[in-house]
Amino acid sequence: MIFKKATIPLIIVFVMGVLGFATQYVPHPASATVTEEITSWFKVIGGFGLFIGAYSLIHMHLTRIKRRMEGWGYSMFTFIGAAFMIFVGLYNGGDGPLREASSQEQVTQKMMFDWGYQYVFVPCTATIFSILAFFMASAAFRTFRARNLAAGLLLVAALIVMLGRVPVSEWFSLQVFGDKGVFDTATDFIMEGPNLAAKRGITLGISLGAISQALRILFGIERSYMGGD
Amino acid sequence: MNASQTQSKKLRQAGIVRRVIFVLVAVAVIVPYILKPNLPGEPNHWAEEVYKRVDTLKPGSHMMLAFNFEPSSGAELYPMVRVVLMHCFKKGVVPVLMTHYTNALNLMKQVVAESATQAKKKWGKDVQPGKDYVILGYRPGDEMLIVNMGENLKGAFDKDLDNRLTQNMPALKGVNSLRDLDLAMDFASSGTTQMWIAYGSDKFGFPLVAGTTAVQAPDLYIYLPPSGQLKGFLGGLRGAADYETLLCRSDNVAVEGPANKGMPSQSAVHVMLVLLILGANVRMIYGKFAGKRKV
Repeated sequence: MIFKKATIPLIIVFVMGVLGFATQYVPHPASATVTEEITSWFKVIGGFGLFIGAYSLIHMHLTRIKRRMEGWGYSMFTFIGAAFMIFVGLYNGGDGPLREASSQEQVTQKMMFDWGYQYVFVPCTATIFSILAFFMASAAFRTFRARNLAAGLLLVAALIVMLGRVPVSEWFSLQVFGDKGVFDTATDFIMEGPNLAAKRGITLGISLGAISQALRILFGIERSYMGGD
Repeated sequence: MNASQTQSKKLRQAGIVRRVIFVLVAVAVIVPYILKPNLPGEPNHWAEEVYKRVDTLKPGSHMMLAFNFEPSSGAELYPMVRVVLMHCFKKGVVPVLMTHYTNALNLMKQVVAESATQAKKKWGKDVQPGKDYVILGYRPGDEMLIVNMGENLKGAFDKDLDNRLTQNMPALKGVNSLRDLDLAMDFASSGTTQMWIAYGSDKFGFPLVAGTTAVQAPDLYIYLPPSGQLKGFLGGLRGAADYETLLCRSDNVAVEGPANKGMPSQSAVHVMLVLLILGANVRMIYGKFAGKRKV
């Protein structure tokens, strides 16, 4: 039982991991064939992942509706919206029930599915992200205080970059320094100097950590992905 | 006034300040958008690099546009794709569009239709799908998809979004893998650019540039020259505005476009934020000195 539940998955992970690793470095044409086969299987598994995600979403929202949890009405809207888009997406090739089956000439006309996407989905998602601007402005106002040297340096760098990334900084720069490129130059220096150095260090650290974690998973030392008993 | 009353007073004041900032941001966005002041800016040198890379492509060259964002990031990236596509159509470059996001498909169709209309209006270019451009669409797989395209592009996408076979498609003549691309550009709202660098350009040797949201932009500087993994990039709405400026200058026309339309609002919000932050710091420092003097 332990062999089936614990050892077989470990063997599969090790073999597939080494195979995927080896195909990156082996120049033989068979390696390219193996890579293509693996990526095809990856697409199939990705498709199954969609069903699992859909089931999980339906289960979560159904539970909220059944138990009348806070915000259960929004779960109803989730189902209504999903049902509408699935229905118009499948019916009549996306045309929906209000038109006859689409002919070749009608392909270029706006379909109900496109209508739902362009006039409901796009404005809603864009609005949600746009709200972030207000919260970021409020957070920036509260956070950027020069309480110590490090905070002061951060404040100065942030102010220079915020001004340098908008065209009006050229006008400011001309009035104050007599040269319109001062803020741009200062912004470029901050981004290509201290920012680049810090990002490089952080990225190297993350990459080394990711390599270490990948090796732990390949050799079966890290088994959290298998779940627990 | 006891401690809890002081605390609730402070919380009420913080709430009022937050609401005032929200109103100021709204005014800073709306008023310049209505007044439309002319605020041309000098393009950034990384935007110039991207522009030069596309501008020096010969007619018939192939450029892959990886459309890796959803409508939530469309405000910054849609104008970017639009202007780059227009540039491709102007130069006779064949854009090959694909995406890692299912929610991007309709947006892709929309931006291609809009860019094609603009290209016809400005330069009389009548572009046809399958011949002058191709929308490959979406396939799952992220890194594996890039590796798959690098080995066999037409195997990874056997049909385009409109169900045309890619095998003998005129738009993909001579392009069998990513190695055959003349240029690729990743329009990213998340970490897909790093994926394209690691599994795409580094592995298969094609030149790569990127267009990202302003939030992502600082992360990409490590890949620019001297590292050279990215040849150039466009950062946020300003990057798109810089590209529009360069394209309009090449045509000797007044600078226009949706990105430049948004620059006055962006400028106003940034300046307003800078003034608020400076004001808050001056007040904090004054409060500290006043406190010390009392003691």
